[in-house]
Amino acid sequence: MNLAQLLNGLALGALLMILSSGLAMIYGLRGVMNFAHGALYMLGAYVAYATCTRVSWWLALLVVPAVLAIVGALLELTTFRRLQRRSPIEVGLVTFGLALIVNRIVILIWGEETLPVNAPKALQGSVTFLGTSYPAYRLLIIGVAAVLAIGLVLWLSRSRTGLHVRAASHDTETSAVLGINVDRVSMTVVALGAALAGLAGALAAPDLSVNPEMGQLILINVLIVVVVGGIGSIGGAMLAGLGLGIVQTIGAVLVPSVATLVPYAALIVVLLWRPTGLAGKRTA
Amino acid sequence: MSAAATDPQNAARTDADLGRLDYAPIDVGLGWRLLLRGLIVAAVVLVLGLQVPSVVSGTYELSLLTEGVLLGILALGIGFLAHRSGLVSLGHTAFYGTAAYLVAIGTSHWGMGAGTAALIGVLGGTLLAVAIGALVVRTPGMGFLMLTLAFGQALYQLCVLTSMRPVTGAYDGLTLKMSSTASVFGLDQAQLSEQTSFWPVAWIALVLVAFALWVVGRSRLGLVLEAIRENEERARFSGYNTYLPRLIAFAVSGASASIAGVLFALHASFVSPDVLSFATAGNSLIAAIVGGIATLVGPVVGAILYIFTQNEFGSNGNVELYTGIALVVVLAFIPGGIVGGFSRLLGPVRRALAARVRAMLGMREGQA
Repeated sequence: MNLAQLLNGLALGALLMILSSGLAMIYGLRGVMNFAHGALYMLGAYVAYATCTRVSWWLALLVVPAVLAIVGALLELTTFRRLQRRSPIEVGLVTFGLALIVNRIVILIWGEETLPVNAPKALQGSVTFLGTSYPAYRLLIIGVAAVLAIGLVLWLSRSRTGLHVRAASHDTETSAVLGINVDRVSMTVVALGAALAGLAGALAAPDLSVNPEMGQLILINVLIVVVVGGIGSIGGAMLAGLGLGIVQTIGAVLVPSVATLVPYAALIVVLLWRPTGLAGKRTA
Repeated sequence: MSAAATDPQNAARTDADLGRLDYAPIDVGLGWRLLLRGLIVAAVVLVLGLQVPSVVSGTYELSLLTEGVLLGILALGIGFLAHRSGLVSLGHTAFYGTAAYLVAIGTSHWGMGAGTAALIGVLGGTLLAVAIGALVVRTPGMGFLMLTLAFGQALYQLCVLTSMRPVTGAYDGLTLKMSSTASVFGLDQAQLSEQTSFWPVAWIALVLVAFALWVVGRSRLGLVLEAIRENEERARFSGYNTYLPRLIAFAVSGASASIAGVLFALHASFVSPDVLSFATAGNSLIAAIVGGIATLVGPVVGAILYIFTQNEFGSNGNVELYTGIALVVVLAFIPGGIVGGFSRLLGPVRRALAARVRAMLGMREGQA
């Protein structure tokens, strides 16, 4: 194991962290596991591809979150808000169906083959980082994720909306009684969660290239991360995402034969040992 | 998932009860007359179903029906668990796939006869269900869904490991090798793969599984399960063991999945990691929900419908689109699925008819 591998793990962990923070926020507020999160990530990557081939990759960093935020707002209006009195499992299954639909629509537009996305010229080479030569683009992923994580934590802990998000995640009913407009908070959170998922897709696109399966592949890992981190705990999900990325990458180097089993083993162990997740609220 | 997170939703759900996935009129309790009636219905359905090959002309249509029936047995198990105990599983492929692989491994690696391998498959799948169930049935709601998904996908990843290639064949799959004299249900390998000779096996299995699930659901165990589903805490405080009934329900539904897996392997003569995939797990659950999990016929209807849709639109890949649309539409607008929706639609008509018949016969209300 060397620094480059650790950085690879950090880059994967950074993507998982961005994705799982959005998923955890939506879960906290609506109590629904959003199975469409992988599809949003994939959609983000494809919108990035479209922007990138027409204009530039840098513009994609602005366009993708904007487009995905609109998609998220639609998701909130048509699904989470309309079905909020249904059982969370049913709404979760609705998002599962929506993911299938989005998947197919993306294939109908862009086809099934893997599409390449080129990183901007300035980031295509390698740079020397702490004595190790490392792809500049992956450093950018890590950097953007770090900025987003700090921004998100500050937003949640300092701003008024952040306070409302935390309150509503903790206890939706009481927050509503105390005058927090849960629907409005939820709109913000779902739009933000979708925008973050799209941004993760845009960031991943040049590194992992773009294909229709990418959403489903990462979805299972993100779901695992959120459950391991503690359902409803945004900080727990972010840390678990980062941790899983590193463990998985290093596991692939040390024990390549069983590395694919690592996330599942982690989930099963954590859920049986601590059913509410590592940072989850302790309840009966 | 914490109790605090679910309870407000449960409390607020009373007016939405009609919209529940597992909504159905209370249908528990079993007397000798009802059992007899069930037996007669099962026998009639069994005999009628056996005539299908003489009605359905093409072997191709029959092969689709067979595929639908096998998926239906799997969906029945998933639907039974979801309906009776409210536990929605995304991991029944674990039992379905394990049973299928045990048949393949038993016949081709261990030199077993097909009958022994089939028995080992059902037993192995069911035992796995007991083992996994013992760990997961305590976790309600979303946690259960995630855990079953994790177990199922872990098995998939295990199966495709390169180091497992000598055993499972990894991505290449495994072909069943039966000796030419070997037979199971009186059929040799060629007859098992042939549509008209295999049809009775699939149909009898479907009717038997459905009848068994009906009896279990209506038995005292079914009543306790219903109570646990409605309020686990209250059932526990009333002195009921709430763990064992759920474990039994999980094992029974795992056994159904195992039977489906064994029959699939015998019929296809070939097993690939597909039987353990996320797609299979999702599609079988979707088939159960779209058909209607609160009824016995629902999951089978959903499964057959899915197979025919897949055949119709599979070539251009749009099956995924239609499956997604069907799932969303059913969950949002037709709670109870296709069969549940139909029977609710027909409910008033049926009641009116029954009242007319009773009036004609001069019977009082409430007499059957």
